[in-house]
Amino acid sequence: MLQYLIILLDDTSVSFCHYRNTNSNRRLIALDGLKAGILFAMKHNLMVQFVYPDYELPESYATVIESIDHHKIKPFSLKEDASVVVYDYREAVSDQTLNRNEKTTLVLRITKDELFSGYEEVIHFLKRSNRLSLVITDTDTFRKEDFDTYKKVLSHLESAIPEALKENDDMPQLNILSDRIQLEKMNNCNAGVENITLAPNGKFYVCPAFYIEDENDSAGNPAEGITISNRQLYTLAYAPVCRKCDAYHCKRCIWLNKKTTLEVNTPSHEQCVTAHLERNASRNLLNELHAKGFFPNKEIREITCLDPFEWKE
Amino acid sequence: MEKRKVWQEGAAKNITFIVTKDCQLVCKYCYLVGKNIKERMPWEVARQAIDYILDDTEQFNERSVVFDFIGGEPFLEIDLIDRICDYIKCQLFARNHPWFDSYRFNFSTNGINYHDEKVQRFIKKNLRHLSIGITIDGTPAKHDLNRIYKSGKGSYNDVAKNIPLWLEQFPGGATKVTISSPDIPYIKESVLHLFALGITEVNINCVFEDVWREGDDTLFEEQLIGLADEIIEKRLYGTHGCSFFAEHIGKPLDRKLQNQNWCGAGMMLAVDAAGYFYPCTRFAQYSLRDKKARIIGNVREGIDPNKLRPFLALDRCTQSTDECIDCEVSSGCAWCQGENYDAACTPTIYQRSTAICRMHKARVRANNYYWNKLYRKLETEGGREGFKKTVVNVIC
Repeated sequence: MLQYLIILLDDTSVSFCHYRNTNSNRRLIALDGLKAGILFAMKHNLMVQFVYPDYELPESYATVIESIDHHKIKPFSLKEDASVVVYDYREAVSDQTLNRNEKTTLVLRITKDELFSGYEEVIHFLKRSNRLSLVITDTDTFRKEDFDTYKKVLSHLESAIPEALKENDDMPQLNILSDRIQLEKMNNCNAGVENITLAPNGKFYVCPAFYIEDENDSAGNPAEGITISNRQLYTLAYAPVCRKCDAYHCKRCIWLNKKTTLEVNTPSHEQCVTAHLERNASRNLLNELHAKGFFPNKEIREITCLDPFEWKE
Repeated sequence: MEKRKVWQEGAAKNITFIVTKDCQLVCKYCYLVGKNIKERMPWEVARQAIDYILDDTEQFNERSVVFDFIGGEPFLEIDLIDRICDYIKCQLFARNHPWFDSYRFNFSTNGINYHDEKVQRFIKKNLRHLSIGITIDGTPAKHDLNRIYKSGKGSYNDVAKNIPLWLEQFPGGATKVTISSPDIPYIKESVLHLFALGITEVNINCVFEDVWREGDDTLFEEQLIGLADEIIEKRLYGTHGCSFFAEHIGKPLDRKLQNQNWCGAGMMLAVDAAGYFYPCTRFAQYSLRDKKARIIGNVREGIDPNKLRPFLALDRCTQSTDECIDCEVSSGCAWCQGENYDAACTPTIYQRSTAICRMHKARVRANNYYWNKLYRKLETEGGREGFKKTVVNVIC
């Protein structure tokens, strides 16, 4: 069931996920288009997430945006009043103003090389945040040796959470480690099913990445509604590899699926293995937290296979 | 008649060389929409493909291998094929490869140049490892309705003259017959004609494309019932086989226990003249009307396993509508993954085409008629022991 409407306010709106937005030409959504999107959201009970570019919007836009309950996803450079702030690695290292009392969710978009060489900086960043969502932007390029390195890095990140717990009353959340502990079922991105994106051209897209990659690949508009062909293929029930998987925190990024396997319902080996390394690291973290009395009723079972494709029914 | 066993079925890797996209014929029902005279496989591409496949015994770990050669018409490239087969044999020996002496070369040919000296020399050289099927569609009227030269002339006479030689070299050879809408009135006489030519196994199927017209299913059923009567009355059932009649078809399938994919796309591998790999030849561009080719790698860089995952993860229910999943006569209802892809409303292999639905149901009705009539005849004649029938509970 549709729950969220993502509105890209501009062609240069910040990417908060796997895709790269290299657009440098500004194209602000038309005010009427913005209003139409908001009206659609109101009629369908959707929570709106506005995705901002790195410049201040005209006052008339701010007024319209404030006419509905919403979240603001903003780049680091405009982080005031954001619900979600998006950093790149360099920005994360340089921002010394953060403190854990801020309830903002932080998104850190990072390459594997940055993470592998700079995981200590990431830990430092994590300890200053309330919730950090780490997005590795090039998981599709992971090779076997990268998986080995990632496993080691996860082990370092995993140790940082109980350490942070010692220093504070509450535990910082790191999506790739703490989400799996809390989840009881799959909680994927669900683009096209639970959320839809309105682009600056006034049309719907399955997610921002689909718009950035191919503007012609639209999926309706606020006036005519959502038109996603073969929409069932975006649901978990129609994903043979994923529906029996318990890496519940996995993004199951359908844009990456399409890019790597040519099917929206089939993840790549790399997406599966990275999610399972995270799942197993979450299990290790949970065992450590059990010893400290946290999550006594939670359990993540031990598995040996890192790619559910290999244990297809 | 018990269906002839396919060599190493399930245990063999099928590797298809698309050696040419040219053919002497322009069959009206042919799914190859992009045939042309330009795309002939260079030797170097073939050699690279063979080296890649034989180098990687971990990926290609099947017990046996079937090398298929298709076109267009494969025998137009007999020199290349001969060179490929010689190279394969030498390499299997030199590498002490597990497939040595566990390989076959397989051909589907239109039969026109079967008698050609070079083709015959190749056949004699490789006979022990060779399977060849000649496509002949039935009576001259039926065959020439579709299987015509570029000039418009029918090809029946040129094919039929090679049938005796083929059957002499491949006793029990099977032919493959394709049925499209205009062919329906000729089905009965065509199958009987092929039996009369000495072909004892006729593999026949309706095309998967959406070509069917109103009333075709009724006509189709009538033809099959007429054929059933003839086969039974002439007692051909013990010696001849027509794939339209199979006892296992027309039953419901369990959602969980009978959830396998029908098609083998992805389990096999096809390579074309440009050196691109495909999950089956039906995903090469010359086979596709409306979609982009589904390339899964090439001879230089190898196969991208991610591109294969959707094929290997496919199951029956995920690609079918509820109507198909719960259909009471679904067993034996076939599909072609390539046609599904081509006909789908998005570029996916996960949307099953149902163009064949009414034809399958008509086939099931005629098939039921055939087996009921045959078993009754055998029962009354006391010859039932050799045949088993599915047990059906008695109502009262």
